[in-house]
Amino acid sequence: MKRIDCVSCGRQDIDKNTIGINKKLLGLEVKNFYCMDCLASYLNTTVEDLNEKIEEFKDEGCKLFE
Amino acid sequence: MIYADNAATTKLDTDALEAMKPYLIEEYGNASQPYFFAKPAKKALAAARESIAECIGADPEEIYFTSGGTESDNWAVKSVLFFSSGTRRVVTSQLEHHAVLNACHSLEKLRVPVDYLPVDNNGIVGISDLEASLHEDAALVSIMLANNEIGTIEPIQELCNIAHNRGALFHTDAVQAVGHIPIDVRALGVDMLAASAHKFNGMKGSGFLYIRRGVDLHPFSDGGSQEYGKRAGTENIAAIVAMAAALKKNCERMEESTRKLHSLEALFLDKLSGAKLDYIRNGSNTHLPGNINISIKGADGEMLLHRLDLKGICISTGSACDTVNTQVSHVIKAIHVPEEYAKGTIRITFGADNTEKEAIVIANALIDILKG
Repeated sequence: MKRIDCVSCGRQDIDKNTIGINKKLLGLEVKNFYCMDCLASYLNTTVEDLNEKIEEFKDEGCKLFE
Repeated sequence: MIYADNAATTKLDTDALEAMKPYLIEEYGNASQPYFFAKPAKKALAAARESIAECIGADPEEIYFTSGGTESDNWAVKSVLFFSSGTRRVVTSQLEHHAVLNACHSLEKLRVPVDYLPVDNNGIVGISDLEASLHEDAALVSIMLANNEIGTIEPIQELCNIAHNRGALFHTDAVQAVGHIPIDVRALGVDMLAASAHKFNGMKGSGFLYIRRGVDLHPFSDGGSQEYGKRAGTENIAAIVAMAAALKKNCERMEESTRKLHSLEALFLDKLSGAKLDYIRNGSNTHLPGNINISIKGADGEMLLHRLDLKGICISTGSACDTVNTQVSHVIKAIHVPEEYAKGTIRITFGADNTEKEAIVIANALIDILKG
């Protein structure tokens, strides 16, 4: 699988959950991805809130987070 | 936190809470018992029935307390199972709530024929479509009074007349309408009408089914003689008292709150238009006060919901991810919203507690997300 790095801070090889939450909150067509810290900062929220969202999406069976 | 999802549920009214309190603590008697301690519960039950009946133009004996809208709808729709086998066809619309649609699907599994009428782009059921669908075997027509997603108010009086002329009973799911628009069951002519308390600032888990006098519906549950022998089970007096108090208050304030809600709608939509967002407003001109259902071109409704959620704003969407793809709701499909807009559908439903400031905050948050 192609390595994806954070578009903002350059953190390397961000994980599948992070890619999933980027797609969920920025749109399925998003091309550039943020790491959790940068995404939280971009959305003016917290990493804890984003992690809660990820768990909710997993509970709903969303395939983006498998 | 800004709550703008009042079609999903509403805040319990404080007067309703105060009204119900005694029946949770001191007056906990079982209304079916003959001793003095049961009398306050029995009286409260009768008073609540009378008050609710008055709010919708019914007689108290026509009000049957239930656990809510879903139970009321299921009771009404599935009643056709007890009709004679040659006349069991149900006619409903594609726009109904799942409480009706899934009840109909259950009936189909039991070989009861069901017709699902189309609606126009505003979500209105066509008079001619109903006329054409009503054959000799039609037993029941079930069309919602107001739609939960797009707020469209159906021409129930006309639809009901047609059903009656063809010998069919008429049920309306009025869950979104009761307490929000004036309702007179006699003027509407309906045989059954379903309502849910938590949609009009009452308690969750309580509601009622209006059954016109003379309509002999099969009991929903068997057991004791509660609810005139039609719905056995000890009554939830506290919730029923709260429901009556909330409905009375909503009806008394309806004109004032309708004005306020229409003003919030206008303010919100003006903001969006000012930002030149490309959107369609769904639903008919005659819609539930405070309901704004919009489809935004190229947007993702689910994404908007979650982004607003992270900002502490609660709204609803007309599309959702079903594990892989974004699925558009059956209502948005039924009114044929163009594909490039449909996935960007959101619903904002203002309630009595919402303010102008909140309407502006939501609009600005939405614009920030879409234009940011």
